[in-house]
Order: sequence, then C-alpha cells, then structure tokens
Amino acid sequence: MSITLDQVTKQYQGNPVVNDVSLAVAEGEFFVLLGPSGSGKSTLLRAIAGLTEVDHGRITLFGRDVTQVSAREREVGFVFQNYALFRHMTVGENIEFALRVRREKAAERVRRRKELLELIGLAGMDDRLPSQLSGGQQQRVAVARALAHKPKVLLLDEPFGALDAKIREELRRTIRSVQRELGITTILVTHDQEEAFALGDRLGVMNLGRLLEAGRPTELYSRPATRFVATFLGAANLILRREARVPVDSGPPGGRHAVAMAARREQEVVAMLRPEEAELAPDRDSLMTSFLGYGHVEELQFTGALERLRVRMSAEGSAQDGASATTPPVWIDVTRTQPEQRAFPLSPGRLVAIGTRRIHVLPTPLSSFTVCAETREGADRLLGNHWLGELAARMQTRLTAQVEPGTGDHGEPPAPPAGVAVVAAGEGCPARVRRLLERGVTPVLVLPEDTEPPARVVVHFAGQVARRATLAMTASLLRHVPAEAVFLGILPSGSPERTRTAGVRQLLDVRSEAQAGHGLDVRTELRLGDRIEELLRELGSQPGQMLILGLPEPGLLPENFEALLTRSPGWPVLLA
Amino acid sequence: MQGFRQPSVLPGFGLTLGFATFFLSGIVLLPLAALVLKAASMSWADFVAVVTSPRALSSYRLSFGASLAAALVNTVFGFIVAWTLVRYDFPGRKILDAMIDLPFALPTAVSGIALTAVFAENGWIGQYLEPYGIKVAYTWLGVTVALTLIGLPFVVRSVQPSLLEVQRDLEDAAETLGATPFYIFRRIILPTVVPALASGFTLAFARAVGEYGSVIFISGNLPMKTEITPLLIVIKLEEFDYNGAAALGFVMLAMSFVMLFSINLVQAWGRRRLVGARA
Repeated sequence: MSITLDQVTKQYQGNPVVNDVSLAVAEGEFFVLLGPSGSGKSTLLRAIAGLTEVDHGRITLFGRDVTQVSAREREVGFVFQNYALFRHMTVGENIEFALRVRREKAAERVRRRKELLELIGLAGMDDRLPSQLSGGQQQRVAVARALAHKPKVLLLDEPFGALDAKIREELRRTIRSVQRELGITTILVTHDQEEAFALGDRLGVMNLGRLLEAGRPTELYSRPATRFVATFLGAANLILRREARVPVDSGPPGGRHAVAMAARREQEVVAMLRPEEAELAPDRDSLMTSFLGYGHVEELQFTGALERLRVRMSAEGSAQDGASATTPPVWIDVTRTQPEQRAFPLSPGRLVAIGTRRIHVLPTPLSSFTVCAETREGADRLLGNHWLGELAARMQTRLTAQVEPGTGDHGEPPAPPAGVAVVAAGEGCPARVRRLLERGVTPVLVLPEDTEPPARVVVHFAGQVARRATLAMTASLLRHVPAEAVFLGILPSGSPERTRTAGVRQLLDVRSEAQAGHGLDVRTELRLGDRIEELLRELGSQPGQMLILGLPEPGLLPENFEALLTRSPGWPVLLA
Repeated sequence: MQGFRQPSVLPGFGLTLGFATFFLSGIVLLPLAALVLKAASMSWADFVAVVTSPRALSSYRLSFGASLAAALVNTVFGFIVAWTLVRYDFPGRKILDAMIDLPFALPTAVSGIALTAVFAENGWIGQYLEPYGIKVAYTWLGVTVALTLIGLPFVVRSVQPSLLEVQRDLEDAAETLGATPFYIFRRIILPTVVPALASGFTLAFARAVGEYGSVIFISGNLPMKTEITPLLIVIKLEEFDYNGAAALGFVMLAMSFVMLFSINLVQAWGRRRLVGARA
C-alpha cells in the first residue's frame, strides 16, 4: 500500500472536520475523494500532504510513518484549485522551483523542465509569465511543477474547479494520461461525480467528515451501502418497503423473545431505484418488470437524449399495509430513452404503472422514524425536535407520528411502528420503551426535550457480546451524525489482569468488525467500575453527548439501565 | 475626447480635471515655481557659493544620510510590525494596530521633545546607553531616531495590504516542493511584498527629508555637525537671506525629486512583471 490512513481525525473548534478516516490506496492507483463542500475531503488531502496537522491517527506513505513529518519532507506533489503559481517567476522557473530548492545542477534542471513541459503539452512556453497563460494552461504548469521533484504521490485539490467545462474535460484527459504514463499514486479531491467516475480507479465518498464508502465506481453506483452514496452518485429514488425477512440476528439461541419476533415481524427496508431502472406502462399487466405501484405523471421534462419524469405514487399502490393516512406522498423520478418515449408517449396527469428493472436494497437497518406518544401534543413536541428533523432530512427518510392513548391493556394495540420508534425521555419512559421492545420494535430512540446535536457518541454493549444488529445500526446512525464516536467497555473494578486483557481484546474485535463490516472506524476506551455509574459519569461529564446502548438480546432492556433514560437534563439514547 | 469620458459618480470630466489642475497649481506648483524663480534671481556664482558652502554640504549629508538610514530601518522594522499585525492574532492586536498611526497625529515638536527627554544623558533610555559611550540626543543618531519615529507608519501602512494578499496557498505550494521557511520568505513572500515595501520606503524617506519639528529638539543644532538642511533654511530666513534660503530649498527640491522619480521608475518596472497576475 502506498498511502495508508489510520483513524485520521482533525478537529476544528471542537467539531470533527475529518472523523476517524481509515483508507488504503494501492501503488499506482488513481483514487478520487468525492464529497459535498464541507465534507472534510480537502482537509484530509491537506493532512496527507502535511499542510494540516492531524489531532489523532496515523498517516503512512510507502511504509514510512509521516504523521509527524513536515510537508517539506513528505515528497508529495500538490496541486491547488487556484493554481498557486509563483507569479513573479516564469513558467520555467516555476517548474524548476523544487529542483532549485534541492540544488540540482542547471543542466539537469533544464532537461527535466523540457521533459515536463513536453508531458503537459506546453513545450516552448518556458519564458512566459503565468499571467500570460490561460487558466487551463496555468493548471497544467502547476501539475508539471508538482511533478518536478519526482514525488511518489500526487495530490490534486479540486484542480478543475476554476475552469470552464470544455477546458476541464481536456485537462482531465491530460491528467489521466500523465498519471498512467508515470504510474504515480494519485488522490484527487472533487465534488463532481462525473469527474470522479471519469478519473478514478476507485472512489471514496465523504460526508460530514466521515469516509462513508470506498470502492470501484461501478460498484458504488449500482450497489451503494448508504443512503448518502446512493443519492450523491447520480440520481436515486429511496423507497421504503416492507419485506418479510428473517432478521439478520436473532440473539443467542433460546433467547426468550427471538422466536416470537421472527414470526411476527415484517421488516421495513430502504430500497434504491435508479431513475433509468424504472419502467412505465399503461397498466400492471403490460409491465415487463416487477410491479412497484401506480402513479400519476406530475412533471415531464425533455432534456435531449433523455426524458425526465416525476411520478407521484398513488396511495392505494403503497398503502396495502394499513399505514395511516398521514403517510407523506412519495415521488418517483424516472428517466426514459428515446425508444421508450416513442413506445409509450406520456403527458402530465396520466396514470401509469411503475415497474422496476433493478432494485437495490440498502443494508441500512434504520429505515424511517415513527414518533410514539400517548397524546397528540406529545407527538407534536417530538416531531418538532430540531435534531430529529435534521437527522430525518439527512437520511432522506420519513418522519411520522403514532398516537397510542393509555397504557393500553384494553383491546388489540395498533401495529408496531416500522423502523425507528422515537419516544420522549423522562418519567414514564422506561415503561414505554419496554412495551415497544416487547412488541418487537428495534431500535428505539429516546429523546430528551431540546436535544442538542451530539458532538460525541458513546457506544456501549449491555450484554456480554456485541450483536451484529447493534453494530449495523450504530454504523448507520453515525454516518448521519457529525460526531466523534467511541466504543466504551466497562469492567467491574478490581477485575483481574486476565479479564482486563480479554476486555480490551473484545473491544478491539468489535472495532475491527465494525471496520470490516461497515467501513466504520470507531475508537475504543476501557473503564473500570460500576457500569451504570461509569456511563452516567461519562455522559454527564460534558453536554452534547449521545448513547447507543447495545441490548443484550433483542427486545430486552435490563432493569438497571433505566436510570440512563430518566436523568434530567438527559441525552439521546438509541437502544439497538 | 470621447474616449476619456468614463461614467463616474462625480459630475463631469471637464469639471473634475479643471478642479484637479487648479488645486495642484495653486497649492503645489505655484509655490514651487515661486521658489525656483526666487532662486533663479541669484547670480550663478552666488548660487554655487551658497549651495556648496561647507555648512550646506554637511547639512545635506546629515539630512539625506539620516533620512536614508531612518527609511532603511523603518523598512525592516515596519515590515516586521506589519507581518506581526497581519499574520498573528493576539490580545491587543487592534490597539497596537491603532497605535501605529500615532506619529501621524502627534505634533512633531511634541515627539521631538519627548524623544529628547528619553534619550538625553539622564533620560530613561539615555542613562543606560551613556556608560557605553553611546550618545543619542544631540548627535546624528538622535536625528535618525526622530526620523525613524515619524516614518514608521508609512512603511507599515503600505506593506499591510500586500501582506494580506500573499496567498497562503503559495507558501503551502512552496513547502510541498521542499522549500525551507527561509527560502519561502526570500523567494516567495519578499518578491510579492517588495513593491509595497519600496513605496513605503519612498514615503518614509520623503517625509524624513522634509521633517523639521521633531529634529530640531533632539539634534542640538550644532553647525557643521547636527544641522539639517531645513534648519539651515530657517536660519537663512531669520537672517533675511531669502535668496540663500530659496537656493537651498531648490537644491532639496531637485534632489528629492530625482530620488523619488527614480524609485518610482524602479517600482513601475517591478509592477509590470506582476501585472495581470492577480486574476
């Protein structure tokens, strides 16, 4: 591996800008870091170059730990968005800069300069000043300058950002061919997914300081694991569906709730439908693919090669499961090619059957949020919770309410909510949580009033083992929360050395499982003392924390953990 | 004519040009012309005798020498002050920034008296320099100190904006290419700042050459030793030797003009190299 990042973290004013990023880039690979502005991708690139110090973690270049090495000695080439050419020097002097610094002989400098100018297609421009060149040419010079000292790694920070479309494409080709020719390991940062697809051998998608997924462009496009990657790489419809599935994890064998639940529970899943994978037909029978539902064409745009449609799903198509009438409307974006348009011409208002050629179920266990309260007011208060709203918006998912009056021993209770159940913290909270858990609802999110967005998430497993389902939910939640996270293990004080070693090993196992299974890197800490006391102290030590509590087995909240849900001022708790 | 007309918030090109010419003529050109005419009314031999008298020659040396020394000192220290103010954030930065302008506002005589008090043999600083045989007050050193004080704001205020403009990216780029901090300073930062530094130097120098108020208190005004040219002019005036005063004034005018003009030429040449590069 030529570039290895291990849990790299950079904080800015207490907020993680780069949050526990681990990554390995192979020798000669063209890796593209993709993400929206503010996702931390540029900071990460600067950290690799040594222009920004990291607060935590390790950076290795070709087996050499460079975390504490200055940018000067890292032997990397860096290209800036605004070229950063030395304006008082000619093109030739700019390119020779690194060689002059290294006191290379004049003849060698000239030879290298000619060679590089040839490489970037600007031969003969040696004596021009940067101000006499166009933007595209200036950026070429910047690339040549970054390559002059034969660095082992080339880092490009949005190199096409300041250029117009045509020049951008040309320069993209140049950079790609230069990279191939030299076989230099390259990381390019961009927010443009088309650019990322065109250039990258592999992509890494960042959001909120975390590296969400890394993989080959085609893989990430067709089988993303996260909502963000699904919607950031091209257009995607995220659909909530109910699927009867055997739960991934049914707890230890013989667990008292496991069997009952597996039988009863139908899981809600998040599915991704690419607009080009949807099929439209006059009715269900004439669909060539599997039926999704009926809908009305609401918008229709002709964009040349493709036609873009927005179809509003009819309630009867999706609501067979008896969901309440408050279910918000669902729109499906569809693109159709010319032949498809000719075969079935459409106009707005038309009723169509929607079919899916290919649908990809995201492995995320957090599908939608349902607020559970005993009164309408209580439900509205929770719905109005700022952080919950933000979280649902980030996850691009549904946030609905279910009002269940009384303690409810009379009559048949309504169907348990799908996805994440959200309840208010405080007085009757433990009982409510227990009732939900018994009916097979996981996870449950307990929210105190006026929750601040957490800056730190403590993950603790109440049972002996970390269940896979808990890990999956933790990973899924952390992808949408810009906070640092820690796996907190607690052993009784006075544990013998052997137990402690085992405890540490267990934590590290959990960490590597999270990393292998979910690409999520989390730190670990081990404490000695009483579990509840330690957790209360940890969460009370500073505001803005959240707890993810791994249940020992599905549907079971151990007695003594109730104290964590009733404390005031409290903290959000996700029981998973 | 049409080509010169640019839309502007101020009314009328003709009006503003007329106003500018009138102002410049009335306030700058006319008095200077009067000075030249007055000097021209002397015979050539008289003129040469006055301007090359040993007392005059030594006053030129002190005036221009001390001004040059003060401007050079200011260029170095003014740059450091400006650098500190631009690059670092520390408590009291705003206050320090405001204090830079104080020499602008203070009556020069006041700063002269204050400096004399501090640097006199029994003054706050003077008493510590005395044992080493360093005398500041009533020597050419004192003149330089006074001229440094009044010239400092010119350098700081000229350099500050251009330092703000040095992109951090340029330094970062140089660092990734292997340059040491000193190399970056010498090859990247300095070349960018030199035009501003030069104009700060020019302003400080010009101001120092013309300075009178603060110097006469600290210099002691010993003929042939610590007498600056402006003082010599005042002395001539007090002796009612208007022609002599005009002649000395003319020499100062000519020398200042030549020096400022050549510095401007150098600057213009430097600017050409950078023109358009701020895209």
